[in-house]
Amino acid sequence: MLQLLKIEWLKVKNYRTFWILSALYLFSIWGANYIAYIIQNKIYHDQKTGDVANMFLGGPPYAFPKVWAMTSCLSSYLLFIAGLMMIISVTNEFSFKTHRQNIIDGVTRTQFIITKLVCGVIVAVVSTIVVFITAMIFGFANDNSFSFENMQYVLYFFLQALSYCWLAVFVSLLFKRSGISIGVFFLYAVVLENVLYQILNHYFGEPARLLPIQASDELLPLPFLEKLKEELSPAEVNTTLQLGFVIGYLVLYFFISKRKFETDDL
Amino acid sequence: MDILTLNGITKYYGRICALNNVSFSVPEGSVFGILGPNGSGKTTMLGIVMDILRPSAGTFSFMGAPPTAAMRRRIGTLLETPNFYHYLSAERNLRIAAEIKGKGFEQIPSVLQKVNLYNRKDSKFSTYSLGMKQRLAIASCLLGDPDVLVFDEPTNGLDPVGIAEIRELIKNLATEGKTIIMASHLLDEVEKVCTHVAILKTGNLITAGHVDEVLVNEDIVELGAADMPSLENILQSLNGYKEIKKQKERLQLFFVAGTANLEMINTHCFKNGVVLNHLQLKKKSLETKFLELTNK
Repeated sequence: MLQLLKIEWLKVKNYRTFWILSALYLFSIWGANYIAYIIQNKIYHDQKTGDVANMFLGGPPYAFPKVWAMTSCLSSYLLFIAGLMMIISVTNEFSFKTHRQNIIDGVTRTQFIITKLVCGVIVAVVSTIVVFITAMIFGFANDNSFSFENMQYVLYFFLQALSYCWLAVFVSLLFKRSGISIGVFFLYAVVLENVLYQILNHYFGEPARLLPIQASDELLPLPFLEKLKEELSPAEVNTTLQLGFVIGYLVLYFFISKRKFETDDL
Repeated sequence: MDILTLNGITKYYGRICALNNVSFSVPEGSVFGILGPNGSGKTTMLGIVMDILRPSAGTFSFMGAPPTAAMRRRIGTLLETPNFYHYLSAERNLRIAAEIKGKGFEQIPSVLQKVNLYNRKDSKFSTYSLGMKQRLAIASCLLGDPDVLVFDEPTNGLDPVGIAEIRELIKNLATEGKTIIMASHLLDEVEKVCTHVAILKTGNLITAGHVDEVLVNEDIVELGAADMPSLENILQSLNGYKEIKKQKERLQLFFVAGTANLEMINTHCFKNGVVLNHLQLKKKSLETKFLELTNK
C-alpha cells in the first residue's frame, strides 16, 4: 500500500492545481469560521443583541464545548471542495487514459481503485485535523474553559467528509468526464438531494433523513439553532440510526466503486 | 516456449463482435506482427491481453501461466496512444512508470537518450509534439529492460526520420533476443521487421504463422509487344510460370518468388519471332498480398 501511495504522491507532487486548491480549501475552513466568529462577537459583545441572542440561541457558539459542533457544522459546507478534489484526481486519470497505463504497467485494477479510495480517507483525515485545529483556535480565543465534551462532532465531520469523498469517487467512475461529474456531484449535493428530501419528507416524514448526504447532515446540526429547533420540530434525531446509515452508505460506495472498476472495460 | 497464447478470445461491444474466437501463439524471440485494417480488432486484442478490457469469452496465458499484474510489470507496452500526465515533465512521468514497475529511477536518462528526448526531459508532456509523445511512450516501454515488448502502432505520428529510428530500435531489440509483439496497419513496417505475422479482419483471424509462409511473395513479369496476339500465343510454350494475366497493353506472368528469369523470357520471345517493347520484373508487394487476404 505504501508503494501505491508513493505512486499517488508522484502524481500530485508537481500538480499545481491540487496544491492551490488544497491550500485555499484548508484556509477557507479557517476563514469561514473566522467570519462566523467575528459575527458572533459583534452580536454577543453588544448589550442589546447579546441579551436577545442569549435568550434565543444560548451562549456563544464558539465557546467550549459548543465550538466542536459549530466548527464541524460550518466547515461541512465546504466539503464539496474536498469532493471536487477527488473528482479531479479520478477523472484526470480517465482523460489522460493513465488509469489504463497504470494497469498496463502492472498495478492491478483492485489496487488502483483501493488507492483512490484511500486517498479519499487521507483527504477526509486532513480536513478533520484542520477542523480540529480551527475549533481549538476559536475555542481558546473565546475563553479558556477547555473541554473535550461534544468532541464526537469532529468524528461526525470526518464521516461526512469521507462520505463526500467516496461519493465523489463513485460519481467520477460513473461519468468518467470531469465536467459532467462535477456538475452532477454539485447539483446533487447542493440542490437535488434537498429537493428529494423535501418531497420525501412531505410524504413519508422521518425516513427522508436517511438520504445519502442528509444522513450525515443530520449528525451535524448548527448548535445555536438547537434551542429553536426543539420548539419547531420535536422529533429527536436518532444518532445511532443516522450513524448506521452513514456507515452503510460508506460500505456501499466502497464496494460498488471497487466492483465497477474491477469489471468495467477501461 | 510460447510467450503469449490466445485461446478462443471473443469480445463483444454490445452487439458488435470486435473479436471472434481468436487463437494463436507468439513464440519466444519472434517479432510478431499483428496486421489488419482499421477497426479489425488489433487494439481490442492487446487491450484484453493487458487486462484493460474484459473478454466476452476465451482465455490467454503468458509463458504458459495465467496472466498476473506481476507479469505485466515485465512487459513494456505501448497501447494505442501515449498515456501520460499532461502536467508532468517527461522525467517525472517516467518515474511514475518506473515506480509501478518496481524499477529504480537510474534507468530513466538512458531510455530517454535512446529515443532522443533527453534534452527535453524537463519539458511538460503537454508541450510535446505527437511524435515526441510517441517516443516517450516507447522510452517508457524500455524501462527495466523487459524481455517482451508490445507495440501498438509504434510509428504513429512520427516523421520519416523518426520512423526509421524506431524501426532500427525494434530491429536492435530483436537481435538482443527480445520478443516483440507489434500491431500495425503499416505493412511496410511489418515487412521490414517481423518474423511472424497474424492477420485480422473485422475480428476474425484470417491467418497466422511465419512471415514467409503467410506472405508468400510472387514475382510478376510484365511484357509488351507490338503484336500482342502472337506474344500471347508464343508464351503458351514457355515453361515455369504459374499463371498468365491479360491487361490492356501488357501481359503479366506470375512466377514463384525468385524464379523469374528475364533473359530466358526475352530469348524465348525473340527466337519465336516476337520482339518485346516492354519487359519488367515486379515484386509483388505485401500490400497486394494483404489486400488479397483481407478482401477474400
